[in-house]
Amino acid sequence: MKLGKQKISIAWVVVLLASILWLLPLLLIFNNSFKPYNDMMQNFLALPKSLSLDKYIETWVDFGFPRLIVNTLSYTLAAVSGILLFAPMAAYKLARTKTTLSKICFILIIMPMMVPFQSYMISLTRLVSNVRLTGTRLGYIIVSTGLMVPLAVYMIHGFVKNIPIELEESAEIDGAGPVRMYFYIILPLLKPVLTTVMVIDALSNWNDIIVNQLIVGGKTAAMNLQHALYARFSAQTSDWEHALPGIVMSMIPCLIFFIVMQRNIVSGVTAGAVKG
Amino acid sequence: MNTKKTKELLVFVLFILPALALVLFASDVPFVMNMYYSVFNWNGISRDMTFVGLDNFVKIFTNDSFFWISVKFTLKYALFFVIIVNIAALTIAMFLASERRSNSIARAFYYVPYIISMTAISLLWKFILGPGFSSLYQITGWEIFNWSWLGSGKLAFIVIVVMTTWQNIGYYIMNYITGIIAVPTELLEASRIDGASRIQTATKIMLPLIMPSISVCMLTSLTFSFKIFDVIMVFTKGGPGNSTASVAYNIYSEAFLNNNYGLATAKSVIFVIFVLCVTAIQTKITKGKEVEA
Repeated sequence: MKLGKQKISIAWVVVLLASILWLLPLLLIFNNSFKPYNDMMQNFLALPKSLSLDKYIETWVDFGFPRLIVNTLSYTLAAVSGILLFAPMAAYKLARTKTTLSKICFILIIMPMMVPFQSYMISLTRLVSNVRLTGTRLGYIIVSTGLMVPLAVYMIHGFVKNIPIELEESAEIDGAGPVRMYFYIILPLLKPVLTTVMVIDALSNWNDIIVNQLIVGGKTAAMNLQHALYARFSAQTSDWEHALPGIVMSMIPCLIFFIVMQRNIVSGVTAGAVKG
Repeated sequence: MNTKKTKELLVFVLFILPALALVLFASDVPFVMNMYYSVFNWNGISRDMTFVGLDNFVKIFTNDSFFWISVKFTLKYALFFVIIVNIAALTIAMFLASERRSNSIARAFYYVPYIISMTAISLLWKFILGPGFSSLYQITGWEIFNWSWLGSGKLAFIVIVVMTTWQNIGYYIMNYITGIIAVPTELLEASRIDGASRIQTATKIMLPLIMPSISVCMLTSLTFSFKIFDVIMVFTKGGPGNSTASVAYNIYSEAFLNNNYGLATAKSVIFVIFVLCVTAIQTKITKGKEVEA
């Protein structure tokens, strides 16, 4: 616990070893995803007899993985670009405008951070069906983007407040209009906070199952990867031969993203801690 | 002057509108609809909605045992989860705070379950508790692997606490590490020189100084456990019986499985008020305990 130089104690070693234990469930899934069902049942700790990819290929083809991945990827891209386009615009203007209207708009936008989603999700599905967006890709994209706006605006708003206003004043004197000022002066300065927002939202969108279930329902064509996997395998719990490769394949993009963006993810997600 | 003002307003609207419209649609309007429906008797589908005033609320308080079972489950879960995850995360964080290669790898390992989807998590645990345990039972013969872990309310509760702790602990560890790093090293060294033991330094010096992190983590874990829904929905569906139905799941099933739409919205109004009150009280208590270095 002393910073810098740490004495090697037994407790410290235990903590390090326990971290491997934390990965164990994932390793077990990976290990068993190569086995036929009988081998899993016989000894699920044993290594697979062969590293055949047959079950992976079967799962990939039979459960329409290409379509699911295209769906999920396009949802994530659409939602994240929607956020990166709209949230900083709003956050910037809200931080720089000191009117009552601006305050009201700010409260309306960050209000959902204080209220649990679970409390209004049933009315949300109602509203979505009222405007006939139930089961559509568009409906899902709009809702999942809308649900991510509050935290994004809140975080960017806090960031903008620390940018010196002189920059904008001198740009205005130089004749920059509000739109140019935003795109050429402000947006580049927001890069750190936008990376954080992007990371949080990309992960939560890729992993989403609840919102997809609520909005898309049983419409197979619009399901995302997580929802489709769940719908398929939670009912047929005996088909582990295909479920396990399915789980592994659904996690791989996430894990790669984690390894590449590790630093941003950790700092980003803890920055989101203010979310109640 | 007037045209300048109009232009400014126009620019303001242009910048705000897309984000505001999205939030209004996805959250604000449904939230208001929710309060509106809570005073009606409605099944969510048919055209006839009857205004019943506060009848739904009276019904919840007098004649809705499943709701109160779910309240009990949620509070019990919150108690266990908040205590276990915070103590475990803080302890682990103290060991992993210093900058070492082994430490940062261990942090990443603890963190990985946090970024994995609920689908993968729930299927994975179903696999381990099902085929995995039955294979371990054959090998070891230990009775513990033969228990029906998802078949009894008590065991399912333990599974949910363990599983959610396993999944979320990395997040709390990172939060605590951020707090620990911010503590000035001189203070810790000074206390060691003054003859404080390792444990004394940790509890008497470190703990008060990382109170801000503790309050953030307590608050986050508390609201997390009150809102617990995804896990229940995807993993146990409230079963066996109604033993693992959380409040949020009870609301969900009231609306979509029992088609008591008005009643469900009334429950969620109570739910919101409760969550807001608890977080307000919690913030007040922990804020008072913070000290400055």
